[in-house]
Amino acid sequence: MIHCDGLSLQLTHRPVLSDVTWHIEAGSVWGIIGPPASGKSVLAKTLCGLFTPRQGRLTVDGVDLPGLPEPDRVKVRRKMGMLFQNNALFDFLRVRENVSFPLARQNPEMPHHELVARAQERLRAVGLSGSEEKWPSELSGGMKKRVGIARATICNAPVLIYDEPTAGLDPVTTSKIYDLLTDLRRKHASTVIAISSDIPALRRFVDHILFLHEGRIRYCGPESGLEACQDPVVYQFVRGQTEGPL
Amino acid sequence: MAGNFLAAVGASVLNLCAEVGGILMLLFRVLICLLPPRFDLDETWRNLHKMGVRSVPIIVLTAFFTGGIMVIQAAVFVKKFGATSLVGWGAGYAVFREIGPMLLGLMFSGRVGSNNTAELGTMVVTEQIDGLRALSIDPVRYLIVPRVLSMIVMLFLLTILGDVVAIVGAALFGTVLADVSLASFWVSFSQNVHVADVTHGLIKAAVFGFIVALTSCHFGITVKGGAVGVGRAVNNAVVAAALGIVLSDYLLTYALP
Repeated sequence: MIHCDGLSLQLTHRPVLSDVTWHIEAGSVWGIIGPPASGKSVLAKTLCGLFTPRQGRLTVDGVDLPGLPEPDRVKVRRKMGMLFQNNALFDFLRVRENVSFPLARQNPEMPHHELVARAQERLRAVGLSGSEEKWPSELSGGMKKRVGIARATICNAPVLIYDEPTAGLDPVTTSKIYDLLTDLRRKHASTVIAISSDIPALRRFVDHILFLHEGRIRYCGPESGLEACQDPVVYQFVRGQTEGPL
Repeated sequence: MAGNFLAAVGASVLNLCAEVGGILMLLFRVLICLLPPRFDLDETWRNLHKMGVRSVPIIVLTAFFTGGIMVIQAAVFVKKFGATSLVGWGAGYAVFREIGPMLLGLMFSGRVGSNNTAELGTMVVTEQIDGLRALSIDPVRYLIVPRVLSMIVMLFLLTILGDVVAIVGAALFGTVLADVSLASFWVSFSQNVHVADVTHGLIKAAVFGFIVALTSCHFGITVKGGAVGVGRAVNNAVVAAALGIVLSDYLLTYALP
């Protein structure tokens, strides 16, 4: 589905991703973990074509994404739904308009009542019925996350990328959000990539883990194999030890 | 010491070139979206309302007192030389050609331009621009072009309104402070102020709107560094717009009839 071969990326003359080789099969569920500023969000955005790698190859369904000019990336991006770290809800749109926004853009001919119905259905799925007419600024952190998830999933894109879906949320809301994501994944058999700092919760959700440190892959494999990884950075991070290279 | 000074000057020049280059690149991208016109009408409508209708009170207030100030300044000499027949012409000429578009442009930059920069900057910081791009929406087409068009149209229209209010203000202040009757003011105004004076100012207003739009959008979408970066961008946008308005005013005063 998505193949990265030797991806490298620099931002403001600083290497952010170095030689990332990663293959994501359709229907798999990946978690990206790593210390702060290790390139996790940049990698996710690169997969969407928001950053263009300096070196390497990135293909989505066989299409070379970085080789496409910006206007031609539309077809590839339509295969992806993304929840951003800061939710990226548009403050100038109400909750319902935020959720239906991608659908309206992809289907300009879709009647207004159908857009409203689809947005309401998706908001109901994330437990936010009754919040349709609120502004994003009126929502709590957990509610914003759920609106972001509703927006990311409304088009039933085959690839879903969640950047910190539970950051700053309490354990109960975190569990609810992961239950919701699991539910959505089962319904649509989508390929999922999730970035999180809440490692235990993430590990319960994913099948595979990619561990990034300073833009380099330190571990890439099944979730169950993470404990056995002998890389000192991975070893220290996963166990939460204070002594070590980190 | 001298080396440090030269390095600082060089860095400032490079920075200035980068900003000017960025503004020109943005202009190029806006023009591409306009030829043929491809932009979001809903967003344009929303901006026309937000930038124009909500600016009316502050523009009316500024214009009314601007007209008054013109007469207050002139009142001493009008009384001294008995030049009451020149008050209408003086106020109209100055307001239409220079003071109206210039002051309203600066006021517009302070109210609308700074707000626009802060809004776009916040959208960058909170990843809303990335969100648009991830949805395959060109931020220039969706956000920038409607704002540029709205600012040009609205500053043009607000200047027409401002000109009228300023003349009313000048007439009222003239009656009260310089003993110039409304009839005398009107005769002086209508006989000496020409259509060219009005169009001169309106062309300036449109150009100032364009300058405020480009600078505020450029500094907004190139924000770096969170809330502090947004504050810095607003500051830069207001300074750049004011400089642009003054410089273009100077050039247009020479170039226009």
